[in-house]
Amino acid sequence: MTTLTTALAPGSAPARAEASYAAKRRRKLIVAALVFAGLAALPYGVRDVYLQNVLILTLMYAALSQSWNILGGYCGQVSLGHALYFGFGAYATSVLFVNYGVLPWFGMLAGGALSAAVALVLGYPCFRLAGHYFSIATIVIAEIGLLLVHNWDFVGGAMGIQWPFNPDSWWTLQFARDKIPYVHFAVGFLAVVWFVTWLIEGSRWGYWWRAVKDDAQAAESLGVEVFRSKMAAAAVSAFFTAIGGGFYAAYVSYIDPESVMSFRFSLLFALPAVLGGIGTLWGPLVGAAILIPLTEISRSYLGGSGNGLDLMLYGVLVMVVALARPEGVLSLFRRTRKARNEEATP
Amino acid sequence: MIRRRELLVGAGALSLASLRGAPAHAAAPEVVVGVLYAMSGASAQVGVDARHAIETALDIINNDHDLDLPGAKGVGLSGMGGAKIRLVFADHQADPQKGRAEAERLITQDKVSALVGCYQSAVSATVSATAERYGVPFVCADSSSPSLHRKGLKYFFRPAAHDEMFSTAMFDFLDAQRKQGQKIDSVALFFEDTIYGVDSSTVQRKLAAERGYKLVADVKYKSNSPSLTAEVQQLKTANADVLLPTSYTTDAILLTKTMAELGYKPKSIIAQAAGFSEKVTYDAVGDKLQGLISRGSFSLDLAAKRPMVATVNTMYKARAGRDLNDNSSRQFMALIVLADALDRAGSTDGQKIRAALAATDIPGTRTVMPWTKVAFGPDGQNTHADPVLLQWIGDKFITIFPESAAVAPAKWPMNG
Amino acid sequence: MTTQALVQVLASGLLMGLIYALIAVGLSLIFGLMDVVNFAHGEFLMLAMYATFGLVLVTQLDPVVLMPLVAALLFMLGAAAYMGVVRFAMRAKANQGMVQIFATFGLAILLQGAAQYLFTPDYRNVQNTWLGGRTLDLGGIFLPWPQIFGALVSLAAFGGLHLLMSRTDFGRALEATREDQGAVALVGIDRNRVFALGWGLGAALVGLAGAVLAIFYYIHPQVGASFALIAYVTVALGGFGSVGGALVAGIIVGLVEAFTAVILPPALKSVGVYALYLAVVFARPQGLFGRL
Repeated sequence: MTTLTTALAPGSAPARAEASYAAKRRRKLIVAALVFAGLAALPYGVRDVYLQNVLILTLMYAALSQSWNILGGYCGQVSLGHALYFGFGAYATSVLFVNYGVLPWFGMLAGGALSAAVALVLGYPCFRLAGHYFSIATIVIAEIGLLLVHNWDFVGGAMGIQWPFNPDSWWTLQFARDKIPYVHFAVGFLAVVWFVTWLIEGSRWGYWWRAVKDDAQAAESLGVEVFRSKMAAAAVSAFFTAIGGGFYAAYVSYIDPESVMSFRFSLLFALPAVLGGIGTLWGPLVGAAILIPLTEISRSYLGGSGNGLDLMLYGVLVMVVALARPEGVLSLFRRTRKARNEEATP
Repeated sequence: MIRRRELLVGAGALSLASLRGAPAHAAAPEVVVGVLYAMSGASAQVGVDARHAIETALDIINNDHDLDLPGAKGVGLSGMGGAKIRLVFADHQADPQKGRAEAERLITQDKVSALVGCYQSAVSATVSATAERYGVPFVCADSSSPSLHRKGLKYFFRPAAHDEMFSTAMFDFLDAQRKQGQKIDSVALFFEDTIYGVDSSTVQRKLAAERGYKLVADVKYKSNSPSLTAEVQQLKTANADVLLPTSYTTDAILLTKTMAELGYKPKSIIAQAAGFSEKVTYDAVGDKLQGLISRGSFSLDLAAKRPMVATVNTMYKARAGRDLNDNSSRQFMALIVLADALDRAGSTDGQKIRAALAATDIPGTRTVMPWTKVAFGPDGQNTHADPVLLQWIGDKFITIFPESAAVAPAKWPMNG
Repeated sequence: MTTQALVQVLASGLLMGLIYALIAVGLSLIFGLMDVVNFAHGEFLMLAMYATFGLVLVTQLDPVVLMPLVAALLFMLGAAAYMGVVRFAMRAKANQGMVQIFATFGLAILLQGAAQYLFTPDYRNVQNTWLGGRTLDLGGIFLPWPQIFGALVSLAAFGGLHLLMSRTDFGRALEATREDQGAVALVGIDRNRVFALGWGLGAALVGLAGAVLAIFYYIHPQVGASFALIAYVTVALGGFGSVGGALVAGIIVGLVEAFTAVILPPALKSVGVYALYLAVVFARPQGLFGRL
């Protein structure tokens, strides 16, 4: 309760603390700018297209997991159905581009707007559900979406949508061999989602969401509009997830229902945040940086044998990290820094 | 704490070791060929069998064998100074994105000269596009979606038949039965909700309308369903003269069991291979499928005319523990056809291999298939890959159609 | 649609529903005990099917006879999963819900990989069973014996579970632990032991389901996925933790699925079940028989 009241009333803290808080937030921005610039420069050092592909997927899942984190981590609503929004983004972008020639940039925005709207419509009944009832409702809704798309001939049904060959261009987001533009798009996407999360952390919404997560009833009694908070988080989260779906469609150039809307995507959006540190600015990136390269590389170099070793390795990794670091890998660093501070101050 | 760190470091070291391990055998001249299949997930068994089939072909090409197959005689590829083929296998987990990424890895890291794969048509779609971008030939062994060769790709080659050819053979057979005085009026479609099922059903629906067969049931089902009772109930009510199922192994088994449980004996079944050409299906429910007809690219009874079919089958069986079937025979032939082109190209250059593939002309007698020959059209499709129809009698498949390949007349209707 | 066909759909849906209930009840029991959703439940089912397959090969006995043995093996697996994984997940100070989800999810992937490693990805079948392929013909209504048997096992299991919960010390310990975990320690009940037994019992129940399914379904490392989502929906529909709810919900799910396949294209038959779940929880957020 005490954390709740201080969190809700940042203005009541002494001015000095406020100033140092603002400085700390500015420092975070500078660190982020450096990290993203470094990531954008990375493919010039790593020329191997396979590793560049791993990098693109890592960045994409980091951004998608950050999008999920806005609802699941900051607001505490564990959705296991975000594949629905990913699919909306992928399908909106592909249908608009392949059938109507609309550039993927606009297709993504359309998919994002559609997803945000759907999230609001679905949020209205779903946010009355608690815990596992909510999670299973999100799984079930995504499954219904998958089944409907599977049987909807207008969007290709089971046949999926193949993107035609196009000359390399930033307009169409099509690059035949060059991976560097995709790295840059993914870094940009991650940076935008990160920045939005940073803005939210410092805003009234951020305080509200954390309050809702800590104790929804107490928050409500203190005047937080719990329901509106959840709805806003769902809309923002769905919007960015759909942008990621549009990017994925442009990158792979072929989509079908299973390859963009299956349940495993919903898990893949949650996992990096959980592994790295849920409800944190850097958790999703740290989690994705561990999870994605490990699964990709173990599949590539162990999977060809067909004996299931790569699956076992993946399963053990997920288990070990979840059990050993419930607060996420990030907490390792935080604890050491805290311990150092405690040593420094007698 | 320490244990966790060790685990991560260990895993990292492992992957680095295999990264370095890959290009270490540069001593003998060799040609690297990438092979892409799902080695984990629900259809992993197909990938494991494919590996055995393609390794059988590799043995025949790289070592001296007295078989009348291209590349069998002599060690390695004579056109490339006796160079041997080395295979690199990759797991795409039936995911189009992973198929694309693995194809790129094989092309850029392992420097493969050609790709073979991929079973799932959705994965073959992204792999063929990637191969096109890098100018590396892709020999599509066993994906039968007709859409694949209609994209104007220059580096796509499919030695085996596609679904339209297969379904046309089925209806040719039905027409022939009609001519002989059999009364065949109605057909029922039963197909899964994937590219494979939808593609197959589209062609069958069209052919049924064109040739005057009444469509009395059109059942699309979800693959790997816990139960098919309601679906079978619809088929039973319709009771068509011919049931045309398009299913993978799991659903083929469940469909057969459910039909028996609900007391439904279809008058005749003509299946779109896949699950109905897998040995496990017949191990499980073979007694209930007596008289089933399946389309096929391959038939073991061809061995009577062409003894090397039996030899190749024995070699495959020693590895895989089962006979060659519709899928593994096509996978086997894909590497043979590719090796023939590599031999004539005399180079690992993508364009030269492509040109050699385009000029392929292998007579059917030099394959293990009932094909007339292997020669590709401008779209990369072998139009001479004549399908056959096989009937399950006793405990094996007998070729019954077309007449030129048939070893016995069809038992028709199957349950009558 | 004829009356006969209608009765057939009804009967098939009912039998399948009782089997769904048997698959789901272990999940519900474990949740009721300790608020943990086991995401490896489908893999427990898969291993039970492989256990049946293996035991039939080795002993040449019928799955019906081997069922208690399969349940016993699964009991050990469940208790081991608790002691080896879930116990540690319960200790997490932060994000306990997430840690449980992902710890059991990791276990699920591990078990899938292990099954592929040990048994190869090939499809397996249990051959020549007493019940396999036999059908009861009630004037044109066909009821397969394996499903009838499964339905009877399901009803017996629910009956037995009810007696166990209400009449035995173990049942009372389970009930007390789920009511108040702190207080039971004061009266000398070892919480960990009760939880381990609860996990064992939940897994043993899915073991029964696996032995029944092995008679009429194919077996492969991913087979659990075909049933897992149905099981979660069944449990949530009935109300998490409600054993009776799982029974009622299982029957409803079976019937709704069968009838949806008649009305909509069969490829969409799960949509009916999912829509029903949403309709129920939107009206009653705790499911049919759950406690808030």
